[in-house]
Amino acid sequence: MISQALRLSRLAGKQLLRHRLRSLLTLFGVAAGLFLFTAVSSLQRSLDKATRLEATDSTLVVYRENRFCPSTSRLPEFYEEEIRAIPGVREVIPIQITVNNCNASLDVISFRGVPPDQLARFAPELEIIDGSLSDWQARSDGALLGKYFASRRGLAVGDAFEAAGLKVQVSGILDSPEPQDNNVAYVQLPFLQQNSSSGLGTVTQFNVRVEAPEDLERVAKAIDQRFRAESEPTYTQPEKAFIANTAGELLSLAAFTRWIGLGAVLAVFALLGNTLLMVQRGRVKENAVLRTLGYPAPAILWLVLSEGALLGLSGGLSGVLGAMFMLQWRRISMGTEGIALTVESDPRILISGLLLALGLGLFASLWPAWIAMKRPVVESLRS
Amino acid sequence: MNASPLIHCHHLTKHYRKGKQQVTPLQALDLKVPRGEFLALMGPSGSGKTTLLNLIAGIDSPSEGELIIDGQDISQLSRGKLSRWRAQHVGYIFQLYHLIPVLSAYENVELPLLLDSFSGRERRERVELALRLVGLEDRMHHKPKELSGGQEQRVAIARALVADPPLLVADEPTGDLDRDAAASVLQLLQELSREHGKTIVMVTHDPKAAEAADRLLHLEKGKLLESEALPA
Repeated sequence: MISQALRLSRLAGKQLLRHRLRSLLTLFGVAAGLFLFTAVSSLQRSLDKATRLEATDSTLVVYRENRFCPSTSRLPEFYEEEIRAIPGVREVIPIQITVNNCNASLDVISFRGVPPDQLARFAPELEIIDGSLSDWQARSDGALLGKYFASRRGLAVGDAFEAAGLKVQVSGILDSPEPQDNNVAYVQLPFLQQNSSSGLGTVTQFNVRVEAPEDLERVAKAIDQRFRAESEPTYTQPEKAFIANTAGELLSLAAFTRWIGLGAVLAVFALLGNTLLMVQRGRVKENAVLRTLGYPAPAILWLVLSEGALLGLSGGLSGVLGAMFMLQWRRISMGTEGIALTVESDPRILISGLLLALGLGLFASLWPAWIAMKRPVVESLRS
Repeated sequence: MNASPLIHCHHLTKHYRKGKQQVTPLQALDLKVPRGEFLALMGPSGSGKTTLLNLIAGIDSPSEGELIIDGQDISQLSRGKLSRWRAQHVGYIFQLYHLIPVLSAYENVELPLLLDSFSGRERRERVELALRLVGLEDRMHHKPKELSGGQEQRVAIARALVADPPLLVADEPTGDLDRDAAASVLQLLQELSREHGKTIVMVTHDPKAAEAADRLLHLEKGKLLESEALPA
């Protein structure tokens, strides 16, 4: 049964070669639609991954209350010791942030100034994949670049570059499980403070790691309570909630792109349906001949469904892989107010894109297949 | 020739509606075709010869009467069973060959076997044998457009033969061929009947083609007019 179905599918594949140009144009249309779908899905999934709070998250961001841009959030550096003393806090790191552009942009350059001796302790998950941490610590203008940042800008260890009024030397490239880290340049805190208008002793935010994820809410409240009466009160929230709030406009934009994805899917469906209907109209007599040779009606149904599935799947594969390659190559990153989100694809998007393409191919061929199966043999032979 | 009939039509009637009118292309027809006979059907357009051929081939169903082929009343079979029956018992040869242009001669002949459970080797042996029988073993990898009309019809005959059915039906098999190609195809049909025991029912307009058959029947207005035995 399976081998017979496979033989029929192979026959369907050969039939697609019959009108090469028509098949190629359909395939191209399906690929374009699935390219768009994959790009939109990747954008949405990347934003979702960056902003969805998970049970294992243990990082808080302490920001100046009622401030939303790195250039306006100024907190005294000495808050660090106060925060460290709060029960439940495992590690704290003061961070100064400087960006080339505070508005929404597709190419945000974000510098994070951190104390050089604290970075490895605060974020042991960071892996230096090129260069070394000690080189960075030894050089005051050294920068550790996230791997996406380096690849997008074509930078390697030893290169010098200038952005946002800073001139730095690349000391290393890092890889992190946190997409945010892969999109920034870490520099030494004193270097960034000296080169920014806020000056020494002031930082943009504190990142805090708590002992246990369930402590997040309690510790956040305790931090804000501690500084409520200070001249610079704080607003503390989980890192992903902070990203979601800061990048709210991007999220609204991404939500709108769902409609673009849906439009692409509908266009692919209409294109496949139209092609398969045209194919079957031109093959009325041939299907009747196959029926005369002893092909039962379900075999004709299977032949048409196979053609739809093959068109959908081959076009879908080209489109999905094309989009994934483009995202990998261009390393597109959307940013606003110092938050940079890299648009990444993953195997789940590949699988869902291929399943969608297959489903569309099958669904679009249902009606043509039904017509082909139901047409009376004698009438079709006379047509 | 074996004397027991392969085809037995008893009071075979076919009617269908065309607009508000009922058309009866075949009316209470009785016919017996012995195994191994090469029968030609002639008659003017609308005489019911193609309708009779389609009923015998199992691609149309009679409105009344019995149609017993190889001991089985096929008028009682469901659509699905009729498809299976066709695959095993009938080879159909069309006037315009109806080969699939994108497939080679070999692949076209293989088509009826794709739904069977034969192994790849068995399929290959059967296809090669069928192509050898029609004298086209050296053209098996050619596409239809690379073959002459006569060769295309031979491929179509090989396709009709490949499942080794006892019955071949041919709807004007020489209607689209020149004289030489037609003579060659008719000679092949004669060989299949005489040397391989195939029962052949052929519809034709061409008296020359009909001469190749063992017997000639004339139809008019859905009824048999006369039966004429032809010299061997």
